[in-house]
Amino acid sequence: MRRAIVLALAALLLAACGEKVPPAPSPEQALLLKPADARLAGLYETSCKACHAIPGTGAPLVHDRAAWDPRWKQGEAVLLDHTVQGYKAMPASGQCVACEPSDFQGLIRFMAGREDPA
Amino acid sequence: MISRRGALVAGGTGVAAVAAGGTGYLVATHDKPEPAAPASVNAEGKLLWRNWSGVQTAYPSARLAPKDEAELALMLKTAAAPIRPVGAGHSFTALAPTSGALVSLDSMAGITGWEGDEAVVLAGTRLGALGPALAAKGRAMANLPDINKQSLAGALATATHGTGVKLQALHGDVTALRLVTPSGRVIDCDATREPEIFQAAKVSLGSLGVISQVRLKTIPNRRIRRRVWIEPFEDALAKAESRWAEHRNFEFYAVPFTGLAAGISHDETDDPAEARGPDQDTAFLDVLKGLRNLLGFSTPLRKAAARALLAGAKPETAVDEGWKLLSTERPVRFNEMEFHLPVDVQLQALQEVVAIIEKERPDVFFPIEVRRIAADEAWLSPFNGGPRGSIAVHAHYKDDFAFLYELIEPIFRRHGGRPHWGKLHSLNGRVLETLYSRWNDFLAVRAELDPEGRMLNPYLKGLFGLT
Repeated sequence: MRRAIVLALAALLLAACGEKVPPAPSPEQALLLKPADARLAGLYETSCKACHAIPGTGAPLVHDRAAWDPRWKQGEAVLLDHTVQGYKAMPASGQCVACEPSDFQGLIRFMAGREDPA
Repeated sequence: MISRRGALVAGGTGVAAVAAGGTGYLVATHDKPEPAAPASVNAEGKLLWRNWSGVQTAYPSARLAPKDEAELALMLKTAAAPIRPVGAGHSFTALAPTSGALVSLDSMAGITGWEGDEAVVLAGTRLGALGPALAAKGRAMANLPDINKQSLAGALATATHGTGVKLQALHGDVTALRLVTPSGRVIDCDATREPEIFQAAKVSLGSLGVISQVRLKTIPNRRIRRRVWIEPFEDALAKAESRWAEHRNFEFYAVPFTGLAAGISHDETDDPAEARGPDQDTAFLDVLKGLRNLLGFSTPLRKAAARALLAGAKPETAVDEGWKLLSTERPVRFNEMEFHLPVDVQLQALQEVVAIIEKERPDVFFPIEVRRIAADEAWLSPFNGGPRGSIAVHAHYKDDFAFLYELIEPIFRRHGGRPHWGKLHSLNGRVLETLYSRWNDFLAVRAELDPEGRMLNPYLKGLFGLT
């Protein structure tokens, strides 16, 4: 019993110290989200949005930190490589022909809710 | 549609060696590894381009994204050849790969105006975005393909189509277009102005230049009822013709190694909207893959299990505006061969395809798509000269797809099939000349508009017999 209480307290402490994850956007909110940068917003609208703003496509929803955080932990270099190569259901380059690597990085950060990567 | 039992089957793994057609054939009954990945950046520092399925690759020397037609014309004059336009990269053939300039029209998207009920649409518009844009005006495209991620220009260039005996492929709704040639010349054409260029350009594989905008016929944006059901394959064959006659849109999928088929119909309705519900197709595919993994060693066992799991599935129905229902999310990537056959031999060819897959290739599990398309007049339209019945055979993107060329294409060719321009096939030059009455007229227009062949990559040179 005492051990269970200690474990529960430890879990509570860890939760309190951990980063607060914002709730996932509703489907309506997801459709309205776009990057602040005009170039990225244009690229996002014609490519990423077709899957990442629509629930049920299999793609992690834009700004859904619960879906993105496990991916984000792999590191930006891995996510960038998966984007360029294609990965599982994700088509290569996210079907964005005009995207440069820096664009992909900005778009990944935006969709992962990590515009401030720190 | 898929039960929890199905999900359990889908999770099964193992390895089995089977006898197929008298020869031993190893069925890899676990998820295969990702295909070998090319370098993300090549030695010259150029970024990789891959198509949707991953089978086509290139390292373009330049990626051009003109913001308007004037900039497009300027860019084409000086761009490094081969110049290849690309949309979403949904073609499985090597239409897009280039070591020269890859041209994206993503910045040239949207509806720019209306002429009556005809919409003037920039060619870079993705089909998925065009639906809501037309709906805002109370209009819709008459038909849509199975996938709606493609750009309008890419869909037109490859004669992309939906299904329905009274419905043409997408290019059948084009009433005018603007073509920018590699020399920067802008050509306005329709049925009366430059009519030969018009009929050549509607389906032109991006080989005449770059189409900047088109004028599209539209229809009132109506609600439609979607129905999906499972039935014995024999029933699907017996009822196919009457269903094509009865429904606005009808197609079915023959599901090899199950003895079953899945029918899909769409019909206009005034009924209130009914939600489509979550995607079931992916779970269905997982069950089929699981059955292959566990029971690929025995077709009778595999069929019995499939019938037990799938035959009693409850039909699905949904009601919504057509642009929301006619296309489907395809989160599972694949490679595909599709031929368009004379309608009187379509179902015979289908039975031959199913039979040879079940005899020779127990590793195949993807359903085979069967559709019907109305005739049109574009010179390189597979539907030029009469309606056609299409059969599309798929292979998971990690699986071997050589059987499409070795086993399936000979059946399609024997029945007078014409290949889908964006899907896998091995036809070229002289063979295609025998299939298309205006083939040489098309090549003459191409030579006139692009005498230096700046729009031609090695694949297109081979396709046109110019090597």
